[in-house]
Amino acid sequence: MHKALLLIVIPLLSYGFWLSDTFKGIAAGISIFLFGMLSLEQGFKAFTGGVLERILQKTTDSTWKSFGFGFVSATLMQSSGLVSVITISFLSAGLLDLVAGIGIIFGSNLGTTTGAWLIAGLGLKVNIATYAMPLLVFGVLCIFQGGKQLKGIGYILTGLGFLLLGIQYMKESFEHVGNNINLANYAMPGIKGLLIYTAIGIIVTVIMQSSHATMLLTITAVSVHQITYDNALALVIGANIGTTATAIIASVGAKIQGKRLAGSHLLINLFTGIFVLLFIKQFTIAVDIISTGLGISIKDNALKLATFHSLFNLTAIIMLLPFINQIATLIEKILLEKRSNIFQPKYLDSSAMNFPETVVESVRLESIHLYENAIHIILHTFGLHKRDLLSDSTSIKQLIAQNNDPIDYDIDANYEKRIKGIYSAIIAFISQARFSWEMEQSSQLSWLRDANQNLVEAIKDTKHLQKNWTRFRVSTNQATIDEYKKIAYQIVLHLQQIENFRHKIEENELPLLSLDALKATIEDDDMQMNRTIETLIREQKITPENGSSLINDSAYMRHIKKNLLKTAETLFIRSYTGAAKAEQQLTLNDAEIKDVIHTMDTQ
Amino acid sequence: MKKEKLLHKLQAFFDTDNHKKRQHIKELKKILIKLKKKERKIAHSLLQAEDDCLIKQYQTELKIIRLQRMKGIEILQQLKERTKHIKSVSQVKP
Repeated sequence: MHKALLLIVIPLLSYGFWLSDTFKGIAAGISIFLFGMLSLEQGFKAFTGGVLERILQKTTDSTWKSFGFGFVSATLMQSSGLVSVITISFLSAGLLDLVAGIGIIFGSNLGTTTGAWLIAGLGLKVNIATYAMPLLVFGVLCIFQGGKQLKGIGYILTGLGFLLLGIQYMKESFEHVGNNINLANYAMPGIKGLLIYTAIGIIVTVIMQSSHATMLLTITAVSVHQITYDNALALVIGANIGTTATAIIASVGAKIQGKRLAGSHLLINLFTGIFVLLFIKQFTIAVDIISTGLGISIKDNALKLATFHSLFNLTAIIMLLPFINQIATLIEKILLEKRSNIFQPKYLDSSAMNFPETVVESVRLESIHLYENAIHIILHTFGLHKRDLLSDSTSIKQLIAQNNDPIDYDIDANYEKRIKGIYSAIIAFISQARFSWEMEQSSQLSWLRDANQNLVEAIKDTKHLQKNWTRFRVSTNQATIDEYKKIAYQIVLHLQQIENFRHKIEENELPLLSLDALKATIEDDDMQMNRTIETLIREQKITPENGSSLINDSAYMRHIKKNLLKTAETLFIRSYTGAAKAEQQLTLNDAEIKDVIHTMDTQ
Repeated sequence: MKKEKLLHKLQAFFDTDNHKKRQHIKELKKILIKLKKKERKIAHSLLQAEDDCLIKQYQTELKIIRLQRMKGIEILQQLKERTKHIKSVSQVKP
């Protein structure tokens, strides 16, 4: 949620809580419900890449199987809302595609009508909320166990528990609202009554978060002639539309696929509702005929309502199921994926594919774009900005030393936003532009691909380093703080040196050979850092545990610097010229660089 | 005899592989001259430097440049010897 919006929402909610306990209960119910959704998603993710895909693949690989899966699960769970919520989690975790998801929705729409038969015929109803407590207990028990899959089961159970608990909370909060709705006082004939009662059905179901509750209310009312049969039909139509609210609420925190499924659910049920309202007379006649055929008394309005509920859902399925792919396409067009937040490639254009030189240059420019984003992430991890690289080294050292504020920088989120889209596009572009191996451009593309990979490695190492950097930069041990700040400083200084090298490359007569000095600095810094850590441990200025963390993080620092330098070498030096090729022969290898450092050290 | 010598010279001129080698030798010589200049410049800076860190940095750079030059000279000698060898083989009468 946008931070500014949060500033408005929080006081508003607080005022609402102060005003009404019912409102507080509803808000808590929605929060618990949404938390259950998150837990359910996390649980399903634990099974991705294994068993769950195989089960889902086998049970949802055709429209009819998806339909069957939806029907069976909705019949067992007695809640189409819950089935769509679970399906949204499947979709958000990438276990299902939208078409299979819609198939499940169709199945659950029919499966949920069995509830009306149970209420009307047997007077029974499975109270889903009673399962919440044991689900939570077993769920938490599983979460505390080892094993990824057991934890996953735990999250699914607690997720389901919280979902049911959330619904229960909402129901309880609206209990007095439900009691106050005396339908007998509002009987209305004709089209006006039909429309108003459909609207009431929608509102009551949205409020109660359960079409079963509305069905129970309606069937009970119609059986004791509190409301007319016609008004009851309208309430059932409304309940069928209102039940989509559960999925819509669940999709708030879900990804676009989840939102699309909730949208499809609404679209299908809304279409069904409008269709039934248009042909209500024909449906009433059909219900009478079918009821007579089933041996239901013409006066048993309760069972006739159950027949009506099943009949119109079945009609909608017969009408819409053959167009399942078209529904998915339509909803994908209506609910577009927001991509504005993810950085997109700037220089890759498929029209360049036939021109090898242009392809190489496009990839080089795009890789520089990626490099810019990578250094943004690295600098922000250490609480700095790109502009800070323009300062002299002493100022950078001071900036890092004096900054004791918490740095809450999400590398994963920024990797998704700034790197993944561009990196994937570069890889896809290179793989499309494969020239014959004899061509010089082919090897250049291969180097560029390696350079991009090095950049990604540097970000991953920064992420590993961030864990201890965030922890130890505010530690109580000054020596540990100093060493971690030294690590940050050396990485930033290295970035500055690369930037200086990059911007003065035209003046540099021997660019490739001058990088050997930077390579030597990396090795020297590493050697000095390890030596300092050993001394600090020996003098008991830091604990061996902190020392081992520092040694690991010093290794990450070395990898980050080496990867960045390799990238710079490929991106900023045109290594295919004759002069660069000759220079390449004279560069020192790792062993020679290390030899230089050791010789200097012993002097 | 003169005609044969002329023919050999023409052949060598149109031999792209040989031409590339000559170009490469030229490039290497240029780089070695640049390295020599750079070495002198850093050696001069080293004499004037007082800061320990800077002295160490210049000393490391000098050491690296010397190694790079040594490598370059070695490669250059090998290339020259190979070119001489090809020349002598092609000049042998059939």
